[in-house]
Amino acid sequence: MATSAVARETVFALRRQIAKIEGTLPERLEAPAGAAPVDADVTPRDLTIVRRGLAVAPPDAFLRTGAEGLDTALSGGLPKAALSEIHGAATRDAGVVAGFALSLVSLILKQEPPRLPVLWIGTAEVFREAGFPYARGLHGLFGIEPEQLLFSEAPRLLDGLWVAEEAARMTALAAVILEIRGSPQRLDLTATRRLHARAQSAGRPVFLLRQAGEAEPTAASVRLVLSAAPSAPRQTLAGPLAGSIGRPAFTVSIGKSRTALPGQFTLEWNPDERNFEERRAGEERAANPVPVVSAPRRGKDPAAASGAVLAFAAVGSPAPGDQPSPSERAAHRRPRRAG
Amino acid sequence: MISHRQANAQRIAALDERAEALHLKRGMGIADARAMHPSIDVVEADPEADRRLLESLADWCDRYTPLVAIDAADGLFLDVTGCTHLFGGERAMLDDILSRFFHQGFDVRAGLAATPGAAWAATRFASDRIVPGGEEEALLAPLPLAALRIEPDIRASLESVGLRTAGAVMAAPRAPLARRFGTSLLLRLDQALGRLDEAVSPRLPVAPLSVERHLAEPIMLTDELERLVKMLATTLKVDLERRGEGARRLALLLFRVDGAVSRIAVGTSRPLREPLLIQKLFHERLAALEQDIDAGYGFDLVRLSVLSAAAFDMQQADLAGETHDDGADIALFADRIRARLGESAVLKPVAVESHLPERAVATLPYAEAPQRVSPPKKPDKIQDTSSTPVFRPERPIRLFRSPEPIEVPATEMPEGPPMNFRWRRALYRVARAEGPERIAPEWWRETSGPEDAPTRDYFRIEDSDGRRYWLYRQGLYGASQVPPRWFMHGVFA
Repeated sequence: MATSAVARETVFALRRQIAKIEGTLPERLEAPAGAAPVDADVTPRDLTIVRRGLAVAPPDAFLRTGAEGLDTALSGGLPKAALSEIHGAATRDAGVVAGFALSLVSLILKQEPPRLPVLWIGTAEVFREAGFPYARGLHGLFGIEPEQLLFSEAPRLLDGLWVAEEAARMTALAAVILEIRGSPQRLDLTATRRLHARAQSAGRPVFLLRQAGEAEPTAASVRLVLSAAPSAPRQTLAGPLAGSIGRPAFTVSIGKSRTALPGQFTLEWNPDERNFEERRAGEERAANPVPVVSAPRRGKDPAAASGAVLAFAAVGSPAPGDQPSPSERAAHRRPRRAG
Repeated sequence: MISHRQANAQRIAALDERAEALHLKRGMGIADARAMHPSIDVVEADPEADRRLLESLADWCDRYTPLVAIDAADGLFLDVTGCTHLFGGERAMLDDILSRFFHQGFDVRAGLAATPGAAWAATRFASDRIVPGGEEEALLAPLPLAALRIEPDIRASLESVGLRTAGAVMAAPRAPLARRFGTSLLLRLDQALGRLDEAVSPRLPVAPLSVERHLAEPIMLTDELERLVKMLATTLKVDLERRGEGARRLALLLFRVDGAVSRIAVGTSRPLREPLLIQKLFHERLAALEQDIDAGYGFDLVRLSVLSAAAFDMQQADLAGETHDDGADIALFADRIRARLGESAVLKPVAVESHLPERAVATLPYAEAPQRVSPPKKPDKIQDTSSTPVFRPERPIRLFRSPEPIEVPATEMPEGPPMNFRWRRALYRVARAEGPERIAPEWWRETSGPEDAPTRDYFRIEDSDGRRYWLYRQGLYGASQVPPRWFMHGVFA
């Protein structure tokens, strides 16, 4: 036990060094449940490191989604200058996945005064199977003008990746969306790492939308898994209009993140204000006495996390209700090294 | 020996020297020729292939002058006005042409004169002759009538009256000639003598600007080509600056040592003159064409031409000497992608006034789309109402290129939304529906009459999992014998 504790100390120390060099947040370390008291003396030091990591990162390095729970779970939001993956389980979720990515783009465009264009790259297969982006709808829902949109339809995946790499290093684009269907071999760690590096140096986000793909190891620091959520009914002066379809809603679960714990959130996009609103299980009931909205897919009340799973008190941990049970935690959420 | 079928008989179309030595002639029947010499080798004529060969030779002749025209089935006109000094004079140029063709394995005759007609006659009837200006008459006088490029029947009737040489025709009075043989004879005569201008229409449009480099040592590597492109573009920049223009279309001509010519064109969405950027565009194009371009033994002449140019707006630099224009970055980016992946690789949506959803947005290639057009200023009164539309119909964020048919087993009401539907072999249960929004066909368009495109009733549908779709029913129940059909047209966020 003593040797393993010493070894862990060493590992922690090394990680802190790496975090300092990289200027990024260290991973939140998971300690075995039994060893929690041992970490008591480690915690304060770790906390300072976390704070230092935050201080090193510029304050606008993160894109705040505006949904409190998701933002705190991701420690400040989605990284802005990075590759982020957004997954949909099936091709029929293409609308939800694209909608979520575009609402993020809309948030970026809202912050930045110059009206930079957005490039959406897709293979011909994706556009055929999942539908071509429709500029009228995008304008109505996300406020993205048609002249701010650029599409690139690549005949092959290889061409699409090339276009994405070229686009990722441009500062004249507000964001790059690369949409890919399935789990092609070409999209491996090397390809995503190249995209990530270029996004980092250009300081622009690259969103990798994946329809019906497996969760594979990629260089993306964040992977969000999207599924549809039933929308709330339209609000009228006389109260909610039964049977109507209101604002788009998304169920976002964090599939992978270097700083966050897995969690599931239901967000609603407000097309008029162009921001997200988080929907919580309790509020929903209060606002809508009629249970038109079904409970989250994984059950009414996800089991609270058992015991203390953090090695230290988190700077901003998600509400316990949002945490899934340990069985839901993906295998790769174990402590891991960069990359 | 090459045969062709003429008037229902196989006849000799062309023959080589050895066959000529056997006293065979053009137009002779193959059967007769075989009877005389059973061992002759006969090949069927292929006019298409001959034409292709002639065109590739014309491409190759581009190295001497941009004005190359094809003459009938077996000749080329080169307008070398102003080009001869580049090759060391008329005689040197003619020798160069003949020797290069000889080394490629062609038996070529060439002539050079001040008029196309005289040059034609000099080539065919007095080989390798250079006719100085003003001596056309002396050249033509002893030649037979065929040297005048006239119709065979005119020639026959001229011969029947005893005019057997061009000189005899020239000596004859013009008026009776015109009366008896038509004006075409005198036209050809005047053209040959330079009394009338004759235009040679070139095969390819002449580039307003081009720069080229003859290479003593042929180059093969793509890297070297790119470096050369940059050098040529640097030279080109000076000319473009003098004209106040930038290139919109550029072509790179690669002349291979063995005569093949490759033509690589790139387009730009903005006028361009920066050598580095031109090199980048060609870098992408060459990378895309890597398989198609065969360097063979190398290229010995590389030419960069501006096919079309447009006015170039100079940009004011700020005090730090930097001009920053995001639009230019994107234009260059789009051009590079276009150079590699084709014209429609970068698309830009343009809103169109139309009720039909699929027609309301047109996606145009980036270069053709209007660049950042600000909407026309309207009077204030109207602008107020137009900026806040009373009704903004909800539109999906993705639209299928062609609506996909779905199966709808039952609807609650005849005109109502479906209760469930089958799309792509999966069954969906409808949880909630909004609609219908009726979109009638645009009857004012000629192509879509009411019969072709029935009315569509669109529904917003949310399925039991919370996904939102846009469906429509085409046609009405009970309106016609054909039952209405259902389609999936788009998905919402």
